Amino acid sequence: MEAQRKNPVAMIAINAVLILWLVYSVTPFLWTMLNSLKTPREANSRIPVFPFDPTGDNYAELWLNNVPDNLPVLGFILLLIIIGLIGVGLLAPRFPIPRVATYSGIVAVGGIVVLVIPSLVNTAEFYDYFINSVIVTVGTVVISITIGCLAGYGLARYRGIIGVVILFAALAFRALPRMAFVLPYYYLGQAVGLYDTHLLLILTLVAVNQPFTVWMLRSFFMDIPHEVEEAAMIDGCTRLQAFTRVIIPIMWPGIITTALFTLLLAYNEFLLARILMQSNWTLPVALSSYTGGEDASQLTLAAAGSVSITLPIVFVIIFFQKYLVKGLAFGAVKG
Amino acid sequence: MKRDQFTLFVAPSVIIMVLLMVLPLATAIILGFHRLTFTNINNPEFVGLQNYIEVLTDSRFWNAMGFTLIYTAVTVPLHIVLGLAVALLLDQVKYLRGFYIAGALLPFIVTPVVGTLMFRLTFERGGLYTYLLSELLDSRVNFFLDGTTVTFLVLFHGVWYITPFAMIVLFAGLQTLPKDPLEAAKVDGATWLQRMRHVILPHLRSLFLFIALISIMDAYRVFDSIFVLTKQNPIYGVETIMYYNYEVALSFQRLGKANAMSVLTVIGIFVVLIPFLYITYRQQTETT
Repeated sequence: MEAQRKNPVAMIAINAVLILWLVYSVTPFLWTMLNSLKTPREANSRIPVFPFDPTGDNYAELWLNNVPDNLPVLGFILLLIIIGLIGVGLLAPRFPIPRVATYSGIVAVGGIVVLVIPSLVNTAEFYDYFINSVIVTVGTVVISITIGCLAGYGLARYRGIIGVVILFAALAFRALPRMAFVLPYYYLGQAVGLYDTHLLLILTLVAVNQPFTVWMLRSFFMDIPHEVEEAAMIDGCTRLQAFTRVIIPIMWPGIITTALFTLLLAYNEFLLARILMQSNWTLPVALSSYTGGEDASQLTLAAAGSVSITLPIVFVIIFFQKYLVKGLAFGAVKG
Repeated sequence: MKRDQFTLFVAPSVIIMVLLMVLPLATAIILGFHRLTFTNINNPEFVGLQNYIEVLTDSRFWNAMGFTLIYTAVTVPLHIVLGLAVALLLDQVKYLRGFYIAGALLPFIVTPVVGTLMFRLTFERGGLYTYLLSELLDSRVNFFLDGTTVTFLVLFHGVWYITPFAMIVLFAGLQTLPKDPLEAAKVDGATWLQRMRHVILPHLRSLFLFIALISIMDAYRVFDSIFVLTKQNPIYGVETIMYYNYEVALSFQRLGKANAMSVLTVIGIFVVLIPFLYITYRQQTETT
């Protein structure tokens, strides 16, 4: 429809409505951000206090047991490292080494930084929950995508009826309420001694997420023509070699898209983590402990926690919007 | 691809799904026939159908079921209509499109517990919406007064949270709209309403089905938002099936009864979804 002239009045009206929609969508986020910078008294006032003196106390109380003198320096160094890692990640396709190596390197450096921080500053429990979230999220993404790629590829290339049966069964699993699995996990987990371990939560998340992962990766593999790996196999590759050396390198957009959704699922999961973890809380469970009572001082802490948990997701939306939209719309294009 | 190769490729995934989905489901069915609490967790006592009878005669269960149905009946149609409206508008703009999409997606992408809490903070005593409404009505407003206001908050949050999903799917659908029929309709002097009804909506039909399928599944298992918005306070009487199921399991510690309830929920969701699954199955067997 790009050829036709648009009525300028209509365009202004359309943009106005969209801006209203934007305001409606993000008001809770902005409001919480303001609250996280207020004192409990200011945040709880019936008439909003504005302007106010922003304070970082809520964040400090949430993340640290005591505030060191050189905090600004350390924070600045941390910020530089994060920006550096994001830069390397975005440039990964241009490096002459395989992308898997680059991404593994980023994860390794990030992991080391996360583990070194507690020895430099006295971190509070929230930091431990953050580490738990990182472990669970990374573990789930790695396992889920690895086995999901194998299955998705198999299902995309196999023509037998069993393939359809597996896909259909997976879709049925997708429909099941979490509660139907989580109580048996709770029961079985205690029986085999895995209750309250990262491993149980990771495996559970992998299983719960597998139907979605397999469906999505399969549809991406279906877009790759057969001729690609057939040519490689004529040149003497086995099927598995053709898969790892020829198919995977051109599958990156599909893998990144699926990995993003797996990441969000693992990072966002509340019910499973709440029931299967007794002490090793993840961030959503930790935050939920601030949501019960009417205690005003808890509200600003909860606001600071909410903003902290949301920041990585805002990063994801900014840097990976293209993949997110593609992933959400994949049902749209495939029908 | 040959059969044995296929088996090797899908084996890890299928084993995980069988081990961690079929097995737990079977366990849930078995445990549903037992009296099981934390005191006798190692030797459940077989009680036959007693748990099932107890669930089906439990008024709180039916109350939760009713609320889940209301939640589905309100949020599913409303979010599809709103999502369509925003998608149609987004389709008209070229500048700032990515900016609008990023902001509009936020409620859907953010951690549900966190998103719900942020939503709640705007309705708290010192919240922005509480203040604005108090000024408007010139009287004090309390959104956590009773079940009615909390129900309103839960439904409002449901729509706020899920609309971006319909929006983005329908927006993607509009990008694949073939131009020729639309141009032809315009040349023939079709009004906006006629083009909408005869060209655009039929093109999006399969997407409405897809969105409805996913959002019904999700509405059926709402948990996080109830947990946060009711502040785990039973006085509001606002709870979904999933939330009540959780209460029975962890607060009342009746694991057997909770498992029976899970099994009933699974049966219920399949009865609702059979038509949708059938259509998907037919589409898959047609295309492959």
